Amino acid sequence: MRILKISAVLWLCAGLAAAQDFRVPENAVAGEDATISTSGGGKATFYLVGPGSARKADVALGEEIRIGGAELRTAGAYRVVMCAESCQSASFYVSAAKPFSLAFLVHPSRVPVSQENAVSGVALPFDRFRNLVLAPQNVTFLLSAKNTAPLSHSGRTQDGVAWFRTASSKAAGPVQLFASVEEISAKRALQQVASDPCNLRINGQRTAGGVIVQTDPVHDCAGNIVPDGTVITFTATDARGKDSVDAPVKQGVAKAKLEAAGPTIVSAASGVVMGNELRIEAQR
Amino acid sequence: MKIILPIILIVVTAGLMVIGLTSVGQTHGTVGIAAGRAFYGLTPKSTTPEQALNNFLADVQRRNWDEAFAGVSKSSGGDEQEFVQSWLGSYGSLRSFSNLEGFDSRPVHITDNDAQMRVRLHWSTPVGPAEDVRDFHLVKEGEVWKTVWPRQEVASVPAQVIPVTYLRWDLVTGSSSDEWGSRNMDAPHVRIISMNAVDTAEGAVVMGEVVNEDTIPAFVVVNAALVDGASRAIDEESSFDKIAHVLLPKQVSPYRIDFPNLTLKNVKNVRMDVKATLVPASADPVIGVMNQKLDTDPQGKMVLHGDLMNESGQTVNIPHVIASFYDNNGRVVWVSDGYVDRALLPQASEAFAVEIPRSVAANVHNFHVVVNQYSLNRS
Amino acid sequence: MMNRFVGACLFAGFALSSIAADTAVQVQFDAGKAGPRQIEPLTERGVLRDYRAAWISMAQALEANNPDALEGLFAGDAKDWLRETVANQERSGVSQRYSEQNHHLEAVFYAPEGDVMELHDTAEYRLQILDGGKTVSDDHVSMHYVVLMTPGADRWVIRQLQAVPRF
Repeated sequence: MRILKISAVLWLCAGLAAAQDFRVPENAVAGEDATISTSGGGKATFYLVGPGSARKADVALGEEIRIGGAELRTAGAYRVVMCAESCQSASFYVSAAKPFSLAFLVHPSRVPVSQENAVSGVALPFDRFRNLVLAPQNVTFLLSAKNTAPLSHSGRTQDGVAWFRTASSKAAGPVQLFASVEEISAKRALQQVASDPCNLRINGQRTAGGVIVQTDPVHDCAGNIVPDGTVITFTATDARGKDSVDAPVKQGVAKAKLEAAGPTIVSAASGVVMGNELRIEAQR
Repeated sequence: MKIILPIILIVVTAGLMVIGLTSVGQTHGTVGIAAGRAFYGLTPKSTTPEQALNNFLADVQRRNWDEAFAGVSKSSGGDEQEFVQSWLGSYGSLRSFSNLEGFDSRPVHITDNDAQMRVRLHWSTPVGPAEDVRDFHLVKEGEVWKTVWPRQEVASVPAQVIPVTYLRWDLVTGSSSDEWGSRNMDAPHVRIISMNAVDTAEGAVVMGEVVNEDTIPAFVVVNAALVDGASRAIDEESSFDKIAHVLLPKQVSPYRIDFPNLTLKNVKNVRMDVKATLVPASADPVIGVMNQKLDTDPQGKMVLHGDLMNESGQTVNIPHVIASFYDNNGRVVWVSDGYVDRALLPQASEAFAVEIPRSVAANVHNFHVVVNQYSLNRS
Repeated sequence: MMNRFVGACLFAGFALSSIAADTAVQVQFDAGKAGPRQIEPLTERGVLRDYRAAWISMAQALEANNPDALEGLFAGDAKDWLRETVANQERSGVSQRYSEQNHHLEAVFYAPEGDVMELHDTAEYRLQILDGGKTVSDDHVSMHYVVLMTPGADRWVIRQLQAVPRF
C-alpha cells in the first residue's frame, strides 16, 4: 500500500514537472520579431494561427520559440497552442506599426462651384503592412485652388479615421487636395465646374433662308463660363413649323443656323434652364 | 403498282413547286437568291396593275434586279444601278442591313391606263421589324402594266473641307496602381425630370424625360419597376432604344418604357432607376431638326414629320429620331421614335416621320425632337 | 448496401451541420451612432446581411481550407490575409472551425459620401483549431474587431478585419 502511495506521488510529481508553461508576447508590433518563452522539458508540438499565418512545428520545451516579423505582419489576434501530453492555448495581439501610407478618399471628382458642404474627404493611415493604424494620429488636410487662399483643416484620427467637409469655392477649375500625417501625404485632385447656366441670353440675325442664333457667353450665376460641350437647344417656330438644333458650347458660346420664314420666335434652353425669346422677321 | 407511286410523287412535287413559285409576295420572301428567275416563264404576265406590282415587288424581294428593272416604266428616268441602289441602300444606312420580308398592296385608283397602288412594305432590320407605306404609280405600256419609279433625289454637296472643332471626351482609366481612393471618378449625375405612367391598348407605358446635369457625357439607361400594394414588383422593364443613350452635358432626352399586356390597375407605385456610366463621346455631329410639323398622313394617321439636317462633315449612317409630346401643362403625354433608313450625308438632309397614337394626338400642345445617331466610323 | 447507407447518413449529417453552422451565426447591428452620415435603412439591411454572409463564408474557407468561399464578400487587405491564412493552413495541415457565432455590430463611422463604413464587432464564438482531424484547441472566445466595409457592385464587402484587445 505504501509503495502504491509513493508511486502515485512520484507519478504526480513527474507529471507536474512535465507540464508545459509558455509566455506569449505582450506588446507585439506588426513586422517585428517576437519570442514565446517556454518552460519544462521534452518535446511539444507548437501551433501558431492568426491573420495570414498558420504554422505547425515541433519544438523543445524550455527553449524560446522565435517568430519572425514576416509571420506577424498582419495586425490582429494570434492563437498559440502547445501540445505535449495535453494541449494548452493562449492568445496575443499584434498591433499596427507606425503610419507608412494614407488612404485618402475624396468626393466628388467634379463639383459645382459655390456649393455648401460639397467636398468631403476621409483619411485612413496604414502601416507598411497595410494594417489600419488605430492609435490617434494628427492629420492635416489642405485644399489648394487657383486664385483662392489655401484652406487648411487639422484634426486627430479617431478609431483610425479622420475626415473633413467643406464648401466648393466660387471659381471653376482644378483643386488639389492633400492629406498628411507626419511626413506621409496623399494627394488628390477634383474639378470645380460651373453650375447651371444663368441668364441665358441669345441674339440672332437674319440670313438668306433663315436665322443665325448665337448665345452671349454662357455663365453660371457666379460668373464662371460653362464648360465646352454643354448643350444649348435652339428652337425657331414660324408658320411652317418648328426647327430645333442641339448645339454644344464652344469657348463659352453656342451658335446654330435655323431655317425660318416670316415672323419667327427663337428661344434657347440648356437642361432645365430657359433663356430669352427673340422675335425676328426671317427671310426665305 | 410499282410505277404508280413514283408518278404520283413526281406530279405532286411539280405541282407544289409551281404553287410555290407563282404565289409569292404575301408572306415570306426568299432572300439572297442570285439575280434571275428560278423557272423562266412561270411568272404570270403583268396584265393588271395588281399583277404587275406583285411581280415587280417579288423580284425586288428576291433581288432579281434585271427582272425588277424590266418591270419599271421607261418614263421613269434613271438607270438600273440607281434603281438597285435605291432599294439596297448605301453609305451604311439602315436599309443596307435590311431585307424586304413581304408586302401588302391595295388599289387607290385604277383607270384603263393609269393606276395608283398603296403598298405596305415589311422590312426586317437590325433594329427590329419596320414598315414603310408607299404609293406606287403604274402605267399601261402596250399589253402590260409597268411601275413608274421616281428618280431618287440625292443631295448635291460640293467637295469641301469642314474643320471639326467640337469637343471630344476621352476616358482614361488610370495607372495600374490599386491604391485605395486614387482612382475615384464619380459616375455622371443624371436626373429623371419627369415621369408619367399611362395605360394603352398594348399595355402600360412609363415615359418622361431625363437630363444629364453633369459636365461630362453620360451613357444613360432608365429602368422602371411596377410595384403593387404589397410592395412586390409586378414587372421590371428598361427603356431599350426609346431613349438617347449618350447624353452630352445638360442634354435632355425623352424615354419610354413599355410593359406589354399589363395594366396599371394593380400598380400602386412606379419605381424608377436611372443608371449613368462614364463613356467617351463627341459633340460632333450636330444634327438640326427642321420643318417639324404635326400632320395627318395619307393613311389618316397623325404624324410628326420634318427633316434632319446634318450640319457636320461626317456621314451619320443610321439616324434615330425620338420625339416627346407635351400637353398644355408641359407634361409628357407620349414618346415616339423612328429610324430613318437612309444615311444622313454631310451637309445634307433627310425626311423623317414618327407616328402619334390617335388617343394622344388631341392632347398634344407641344413637342421636342432629339436625334440619336450611329456612325460606323465612330469609336 | 450498408456502406451506401452509412455514406448517405454521413453526407446528410455533414449537410445538416453546414446548415446548422449557417443559422448559428447571429448578428445584431446598431446603426444609431454612425456619423457624420446617417445610415439609410436599406444600407443597414445590406450591411447586416453581407457582414453575416462574410463570416459564414470565412468560417467555411478556414474550415475547409477553400479560398474560393471568400470571393465576393472580402476585398483588399482582408481578402489577402485570409487567402494567405488558408494557404498556410493547407501547407501545415491545420484548419480552424468557427461555430456558435454571436456578433454585436456597432457602426462608429459612415463617410459623408457613403463610400466607407467603420464598425466595431464584439464577437463571441467557439473556436476550434484542428490538426488533421484532431482538435488541438477548443475554446469559447470573446473578441473585438475593427471592421472597414466598402460598397461593392451589389453588396458591402469587408476591406479590413482587425482584432484588437479593446475598443
